[in-house]
Amino acid sequence: MSHVIVVDLGYGDAGKGTVVDWLCATRPVHAVVRFNGGGQAAHNVVLPDGRWHTFAQFGAGTFQPGVRTHLSRFMVVDPLALAVEADHLAMIGVPDALDRLTVDAWALLTTPYHRAANRAREVARGAGRHGSCGMGVGETIAYDLAHPGEAPRVGDCATPGVLRERLAALRDRLTAELGPLDAPPVDDCVAAFTAFAERVSIVDGDYLTTLLRSGTCVFEGAQGVLLDEWYGFHPYTTWSTTTFANAERLLAEAGMAGHATRLGVLRIVTTRHGPGPLVTEDPNLPFIDPRNPTNPWQGPFRFGHFDAVAHRYALDVAGGVDGLALTHLDLASPQLKICRRYDWTERLVPGPAGDLDHQATLTEQLLRSRPEYDEPVSDWITTVEDELARPVVLSSHGPTAKDKSTRGSLLAPVPAASS
Amino acid sequence: MGSGTWSTDVYDAADRYRRSTGTSAFAYSDGGARTVHPDLDPSGAARESRDSTEHPESLAIAVLFDVTGSMRRVPRVLQTKLPQLLGMLQRKGYARDPQIMFGAIGDATCDRVPLQVGQFESDNRMDDDLGRIVLEGGGGGQMTESYELALYFMARHTSIDCFERRGHRGYLFIIGDELAYPKVKPREVRKLIGDELTEGIPLASLIREVTRKYDTYYLLPAGTGYAGDARVLDYWRDLLGQNVLELDDLNAVCETIALTIGLGEGTVDLDTGLHDLGKAGSKTTRTVSKALARVGADQRATTVSPLPAVRTNGDRITRL
Repeated sequence: MSHVIVVDLGYGDAGKGTVVDWLCATRPVHAVVRFNGGGQAAHNVVLPDGRWHTFAQFGAGTFQPGVRTHLSRFMVVDPLALAVEADHLAMIGVPDALDRLTVDAWALLTTPYHRAANRAREVARGAGRHGSCGMGVGETIAYDLAHPGEAPRVGDCATPGVLRERLAALRDRLTAELGPLDAPPVDDCVAAFTAFAERVSIVDGDYLTTLLRSGTCVFEGAQGVLLDEWYGFHPYTTWSTTTFANAERLLAEAGMAGHATRLGVLRIVTTRHGPGPLVTEDPNLPFIDPRNPTNPWQGPFRFGHFDAVAHRYALDVAGGVDGLALTHLDLASPQLKICRRYDWTERLVPGPAGDLDHQATLTEQLLRSRPEYDEPVSDWITTVEDELARPVVLSSHGPTAKDKSTRGSLLAPVPAASS
Repeated sequence: MGSGTWSTDVYDAADRYRRSTGTSAFAYSDGGARTVHPDLDPSGAARESRDSTEHPESLAIAVLFDVTGSMRRVPRVLQTKLPQLLGMLQRKGYARDPQIMFGAIGDATCDRVPLQVGQFESDNRMDDDLGRIVLEGGGGGQMTESYELALYFMARHTSIDCFERRGHRGYLFIIGDELAYPKVKPREVRKLIGDELTEGIPLASLIREVTRKYDTYYLLPAGTGYAGDARVLDYWRDLLGQNVLELDDLNAVCETIALTIGLGEGTVDLDTGLHDLGKAGSKTTRTVSKALARVGADQRATTVSPLPAVRTNGDRITRL
């Protein structure tokens, strides 16, 4: 039984969803565990028969029958979006997604008040936007940090009295700070969250240990290491630890420290959705991403050449990987180049953990950096392996599980035990 | 990354949750099944809880719940909660090698599926048995269900090493809201289980028989037809003494069962158990402490405020 942790070594959108789906399709996987971020994740999975779902809170393995989803305490849960997502899954032939879901009672709850506050702030920032998704995930985490022990959590949904109290305090505080919020009355929120608690299996922290002992689990990371709250390019970061750290901590708590395969996902086209450094950005690259449309909160989806400097930095701060999954190989073209160094350095040096001033200075440098390119790439897999000094153990040429090939034995498919 | 792929509307979310009745939770039942699943059929069956090298100190724990109409939505809620029981017992160290069996109770006088019994399992496989339970929703209208048949099966058709090899009683939890029939009827036993009885067995002697092997509890949850009904409580207290618990919050069913076992095993005292619950961020502490007030000794109200997750950083950081 080998658990796998899947983390994106870029700015997100590298194809974690499709990798998780492939893992669940090629071996008996018991559950997919989310360990960071919230409902703003958008992990696309396309089935060979054309069905397509953007996984936001359900694990990207949900298309595979019987694979469970567990939302750990490090996940920020949005029950309203979850209901809509479950209905969409039902519509495309997965009627039991909610039944295969467990949610840790200690996970923070995103509410319409967080969402309204998030949008009010982002509008006020105007041109200085950070690229927020407008869902209130960061707002949820910020409120919990500012008011320890008072933020609504998933477990509160089962006790309407407590929930009402916490929602009212949340609404009052955010209103005092930002003015009237465009959000529904507390009682209406209580009704919806209570229905969520009645329908969904809310579990305590012990449950995950049982789950991890029951069979292979895949830890599905959200966003990307280059957006990490501490190691990302501040302030263009997310309110979440996007490295392997949370997953490793959950495994350690279950007595399985260091037993999981660490998989880093990269695409050959480095992209970024929203503002912030993207050193290799090239508006002339002939790509569009139909699954990442421009939206009012993040703005356009941006394309760049393969930025080995940034990805090397991601590997450094994430503490290394056992193997790489390289995706979007179908986009290889003579126009697409690899950047091995900037005009001033080959290697970015992270500051001490938690030193956001250092990170902000690094961001300033990056915004002024120029990429340098070499000869065109003929073989992306070996080029990336050489450049990052890690083996590519999975390659992907398209959106479905059929478009994946393994290299080496690390992720070799495991046939189902014949029972 | 994304921008909130799925819309959020507080006004339709509740409807969506209510409309989506567990399709796989009780897949067998919701698929229209009206006969007992072969894996849960008590006919000619025995259920065993055995020691093994992996589980040298097996402890048999059976949870049987009433699935008749008066239980309303309770069985469905139980289905979402009970899978946590195993992990809770193991993690808290309340029981070393728990083996859990789930089953369901109906009314043999009018139901098609009056008794369903799963296997004792040491891992998540017992969840599959939960999914095979038929929720008949029937039952008679006279405040009586066939609990006695379930007790009969547990007394005479289960073989448990904890008791037989080590003289250590297992645990039996009946979750329901009505009374039992006064006697086990030979005709029903023949039809459902296959035993030939010459005469009926009075409930009281059946209780004596089953409690030799199992520490037996009756749980009456809120949200059922006879929740808090003194007639039901008094009836079961006459039979089981203080082992009758009122559960005013169904969400606390696992905590209540786990802590009851911990108390019975002497692996935890009530204060510590309630403290653990509070520490885990559990909001069910009050329910459990109320339910177990009579079981635990030296009852003191315990309130624990959970500590926030430790994060050290300035809270004035402007991020996304």
